Amino acid sequence: MLSFVPSLATADEPSLVEWTEQRVEAGLVKPLAERAGSRFSRSRPPPRERRIRVTQASLSRDKQGKDFVPFAVDVRFGAGDWQQNDIVGCAYRASGSLFVQRGEAYFPASVLLGKQVAAVAGACQAAPARS
Amino acid sequence: MLGHWAGRGFLTSMWLGSALITLMSLPYFDFETLPPFVIEKLPLRFESLWLGALRIHVAAAALSFPLCLLLMTRALQRRATWHRRLGRVSGALVLVALVPSGVVLALDAKGGPLVTAGFLLSAAIVAGAMIIGVQAARRRDLALHARAMRHVIGQMSVAVVSRALIVALDAVGVDPDSAYVAALWAPVLASVAVVEWLSSRPLIGHRNRFELVERIRRELSPFALLVRIRAFFRPVLGDGR
Repeated sequence: MLSFVPSLATADEPSLVEWTEQRVEAGLVKPLAERAGSRFSRSRPPPRERRIRVTQASLSRDKQGKDFVPFAVDVRFGAGDWQQNDIVGCAYRASGSLFVQRGEAYFPASVLLGKQVAAVAGACQAAPARS
Repeated sequence: MLGHWAGRGFLTSMWLGSALITLMSLPYFDFETLPPFVIEKLPLRFESLWLGALRIHVAAAALSFPLCLLLMTRALQRRATWHRRLGRVSGALVLVALVPSGVVLALDAKGGPLVTAGFLLSAAIVAGAMIIGVQAARRRDLALHARAMRHVIGQMSVAVVSRALIVALDAVGVDPDSAYVAALWAPVLASVAVVEWLSSRPLIGHRNRFELVERIRRELSPFALLVRIRAFFRPVLGDGR
């Protein structure tokens, strides 16, 4: 059925997965790597590598009707195995806003860069499907 | 001789480590931005209390650790009045600010109950040793005072040693969660063992014994003894004229 719906993406535009990866790379992973400061501290040492996984290839819609794509960032320390879901969050398609999960709530991704921001209710939470 | 240089090396490295920690902790006082150590902890149940405790702990440590190191130097130990005054300041800082704030932080420590237990043990040693050390100083029991204060310094040194271990274990690829636990418990226990070993050693080593006996002999030479006896009785007997 869906195959009959014309795609809005052109050949030059990245796919949803590629767009999300690029957005998370530019808005989160790169700034985190640049922020890795002092190592003489009790904070966790910066990982050797981070990789972005887009955990859903299609858009989800929250209660406000905004579309988002969930993602996860895995990390690797030294020669160890990948540790999955070090960061879990979502990228909003229209605005490009990134949110990350801390505990039960979702915060703007800038919280990981040290900004004091409040949790956003309903962010990254798909609205129940209408019957 | 080796012990003398080891002691100096220890004090110097702790001075440098303490200064480095203080420098690295300055972002904790930037009220606009959260440092990485705090971000890792989010969300916190009592965020304001925890952040307040962190700032008090950092400030108290930045003052009390260098002060305690200063109090361990011979130069200050020879100046009894200053040693006593600065000792009171650092004792109050440790018991009123450093340990209570450390206990609050320990209860929500990164790494779970094992890390909490490690920090609480270290806090108990610091507080207990400080109280015993102060009481011993008031009784003029200097051997016990020195032993207790070495335990205080030993546990304070965990702050430097554990950070160095975290860096070293990360460099060899140890998983950071395991490294964090090991880098806490190993120096806490090692400090206790080293202090007890140092305290159990005889004060005069075999090498120094001959030199010490020679100095005592010189001090008690018949002529020196005669001069001292004369000086003692002079006020009573008059000058004999």
